[in-house]
Amino acid sequence: MKSASLAGLVAPRDPSVQAAYVHIPFCRRRCFYCDFPISVLGDRAHGRTSGSVAEYVVQLCQEITATPVANPQPLTSVFFGGGTPSLLAAEQVATILDTLHRHLAIAPSAEISIEMDPGTFDRAQIQGYRAAGITRVSLGVQAFQDELLQLCGRSHRCADIAPAVELVRAAGIDNLSLDLISGLPQQTSDQWQASLQQAIAIAPAHLSCYDLVLEPVTPFGKQYQPGEQPLPDDETTADFYRQAQATLTDAGWQHYEISNYARSGYQCQHNRTYWQNQPYYGFGMGATSYVHGQRYARPRTRREYYTWVAEFQAAEGQLCAPATPPAEWILETLMLGLRLSEGVALGKFDNETRDRLHATLTPYAQQGWVRLSEPTGQARVWPPLAPLPHDTHLQLSDPEGFLFSNTILAALFADLGVEIGAETGG
Amino acid sequence: MTEVPVSRVRNFSIIAHIDHGKSTLADRLLQTTETVAKRQMKEQFLDNMDLERERGITIKLQAARMNYTAKDGETYVLNLIDTPGHVDFAYEVSRSLVACEGALLVVDASQGVEAQTLANVYLALEHDLEIIPVLNKIDLPGAEPDRVVEEIEEVIGLDCSHAILASAKQGIGIDEILESIVQLVPPPADTVDKPLRALIFDSYYDPYRGVVVYFRVVDGCLRRGDRLRLMASGKEYDADEIGILSPHQIPVDELHAGEVGYFAAAIKAVEDARVGDTISLAKEPPDAPLPGYTEAKPMVFCGLFPTDSDQYSDLREALDKLKLNDAALSFEPETSSAMGFGFRCGFLGLLHLEIVQERLEREYNLDLIATAPSVIYRIKSIGEDEFEIDNPSQLPPPQQREYIQEPYVRVEMLAPEEYVGTLMELCQNRRGEFKDMRYFANKRTTLIYELPLAEVVTDFFDQLKSRSRGYASMEYHFLGYRQNDLVKLDVLVNGDSVDSLATIVHRDKAYFVGRALVEKLKELIPRHQFKIPIQASIGSRIIASEHIPALRKDVLAKCYGGDISRKKKLLQKQAKGKKRMKAIGTVDVPQEAFMAVLKLE
Repeated sequence: MKSASLAGLVAPRDPSVQAAYVHIPFCRRRCFYCDFPISVLGDRAHGRTSGSVAEYVVQLCQEITATPVANPQPLTSVFFGGGTPSLLAAEQVATILDTLHRHLAIAPSAEISIEMDPGTFDRAQIQGYRAAGITRVSLGVQAFQDELLQLCGRSHRCADIAPAVELVRAAGIDNLSLDLISGLPQQTSDQWQASLQQAIAIAPAHLSCYDLVLEPVTPFGKQYQPGEQPLPDDETTADFYRQAQATLTDAGWQHYEISNYARSGYQCQHNRTYWQNQPYYGFGMGATSYVHGQRYARPRTRREYYTWVAEFQAAEGQLCAPATPPAEWILETLMLGLRLSEGVALGKFDNETRDRLHATLTPYAQQGWVRLSEPTGQARVWPPLAPLPHDTHLQLSDPEGFLFSNTILAALFADLGVEIGAETGG
Repeated sequence: MTEVPVSRVRNFSIIAHIDHGKSTLADRLLQTTETVAKRQMKEQFLDNMDLERERGITIKLQAARMNYTAKDGETYVLNLIDTPGHVDFAYEVSRSLVACEGALLVVDASQGVEAQTLANVYLALEHDLEIIPVLNKIDLPGAEPDRVVEEIEEVIGLDCSHAILASAKQGIGIDEILESIVQLVPPPADTVDKPLRALIFDSYYDPYRGVVVYFRVVDGCLRRGDRLRLMASGKEYDADEIGILSPHQIPVDELHAGEVGYFAAAIKAVEDARVGDTISLAKEPPDAPLPGYTEAKPMVFCGLFPTDSDQYSDLREALDKLKLNDAALSFEPETSSAMGFGFRCGFLGLLHLEIVQERLEREYNLDLIATAPSVIYRIKSIGEDEFEIDNPSQLPPPQQREYIQEPYVRVEMLAPEEYVGTLMELCQNRRGEFKDMRYFANKRTTLIYELPLAEVVTDFFDQLKSRSRGYASMEYHFLGYRQNDLVKLDVLVNGDSVDSLATIVHRDKAYFVGRALVEKLKELIPRHQFKIPIQASIGSRIIASEHIPALRKDVLAKCYGGDISRKKKLLQKQAKGKKRMKAIGTVDVPQEAFMAVLKLE
């Protein structure tokens, strides 16, 4: 079906919401590479003692309560992201989760993640988190070299990492994820390999490895040019990526998303919601929600956010945002889904779209960057003729397809444009 | 229509620099004479094309007939013939001036005279037009009417004792202007009894009626239904519809000597009724046509290629349609090994080129790549006659050439004194030959250089403007051909010579241009999955070389809930860039690369 007749309609297949993102904007300092919406509290601040944090939690809970319920089923994932959510006191986490549960309901088996920085929490706090319902911890390790941590403006040091891991595990949380950054200024291949080895030694259930992104408004963005000294050049960082892929898959982690690795059964359910282009709630300053096909970004400063919460309550939770049109939905589904190693199930798309996908992607398939698989994961031969079969998954190869994913996606954006439609049931 | 005797007709035009308020003044005259009702008044009524209104310049000229009751109690017919305000259209300007007996010289009272104005005033003086100086914008705080009057007297040598102080915007001085037109502009000669001769000063294509021709009757009388003969084209038509321009067309039965009007006769294209041609009666031919007819010839050439080769036939159709309305536009099919099928197009000048390109993209929805502008070179090959080329790729190899000649123009610049140094430097860098420099009162200077046209059609005008902070203006006219030591500079991308990037340059500048060009291309061409050498060569000798390193990764590390919209925008931008690129072999080259030679530091 052509989108001309569908333009402006809600994206197809809007299932019920199952995930909620909660943004906690507070940090002790701003890291030199970070352009997230955050509020800096200083080195000694903590949620228990900070009036700002207390007020934020109140406003956040008001937003949650004012939000219209869009999930007939209880939530299966909640994610506390930041910022540094581990600056929250356990009671504050409990309050937020309690509000979510009372208003939207959280399934007993839900994955409830929180981002924590080494050195920001003690035993009592992590136990309190566990008691409040936290089931998964994502630890912002970033590097295992003090000189690199310092260069990034991180507030923790190498020595803080092992105790933090120990505390999380002692609290009974075995679903632990570590974050690492590659491509830092002056980082060498040896340092990166050492970081990977130390991460392997910790044996977390999940690992995220991010190639440094230079955001223009950050100190890094202003100081450095991509690929130029003291940053490693593109060839080196591409090699870091391959190095991580080889080392970690060898050690038994699945490379399930462009920058994410997991032990079997430990993929991040919450983040998979994004990559599968499923709806999610978003709460808090700067948070984005995707409900009923509407993507909505909240204000990025606290003052504006508080004003917005008041207006939101007054408007009885109605948001003014255009719904994603079907043609855009196709592009988003591809852009997100191709980040996953399993790729995108082509049954979602109509014949015409699969025709065009075949035309655009055949050269990349010949190059070995794109391929098809059965739902079981078994490879399927790329057909000489369009369309791509509806009962297959479209995937990028690892690591080369992943490394050039933007090139492939830009080709799809150029060729699919906006004038084709999605299979809209019937 | 009341019959108006020739003695009560006044034909005039307005000479003004861009921004000096010509269109506003024209609007005001139409309003004051109640030619256009107030509610129909759009701003700048005479500028019909969107492009004109956006750029604030007149490209196609217009005409309007006004009835004005003067202080002597008589009603006069005033015909305003608007002139295009750009050097590219100098010939059209000259024809519309010839159709008048007088001209308003409108000068911004805070800015003073500009080069373009100067050139048009000289043209008007050559044709014995009565010139009425009008100092416009006198209501603005920076207005210095005395200084500007002094300047007009000194620069042009025009008596300004009767100059009118006006503000078209505020309606100041409008009645005085109208009265001066009646008093000072002479009526047309009463030659109603002679055989018909009428001068075409404009024409445009109307999809329903064919070409509509604007003309001034010089001698005799033209009646509806007359069999007309255009003396230069030799074609004959029946005047199905004749009328006046008020400024909307109003049909009449008869137009006599001195009057301005239009006729429509199912003429297929404007090239059949060119500006400057003489209209006569088929049954009563005059002794001679009106003097001064020439065909406006293209001076600047470039290749236009569709980004998407499927649009080739759309491009041909669009050019055909534009050609109906633009006699000066020329085009013929061109095949480039790099760009595929397109057209080699000829233009009067750079603005003309830009306008055509923009109209093709905007009105016809085409994605185009234009190659750098070139001029016509005259080549003498050994043992052959001299011939002309308008495309560097046609240049025969050096060993077969006896000589190359290139067109030269005389450039006259007007600028405040403090910019003279930097403008002289600009002209020297462009192989200019200094001819003259004159100082006027108020620290204004004219600077005259002879320059190769090829150096002027690049970014000369932009440079002139930026070096003088917009204060300098220029005017040029064709001088003739001169022999120079010119060479063809080839560009190789990934080892393949790209014909669309080849340019003809002076041997002394070849190394510099080659070096700068490969550096610029290195910036403009995106990375690919392989290393791309970029080289400049003269013949088989490489004179400059760079390479674009291979793309090693193109991936966004993070994409979570809050990143999706931004990430999508990034990809859309990347996709858009990709769409506007031309695949040359295995290398995607962006549009701007083909114009890179114009933007060298």
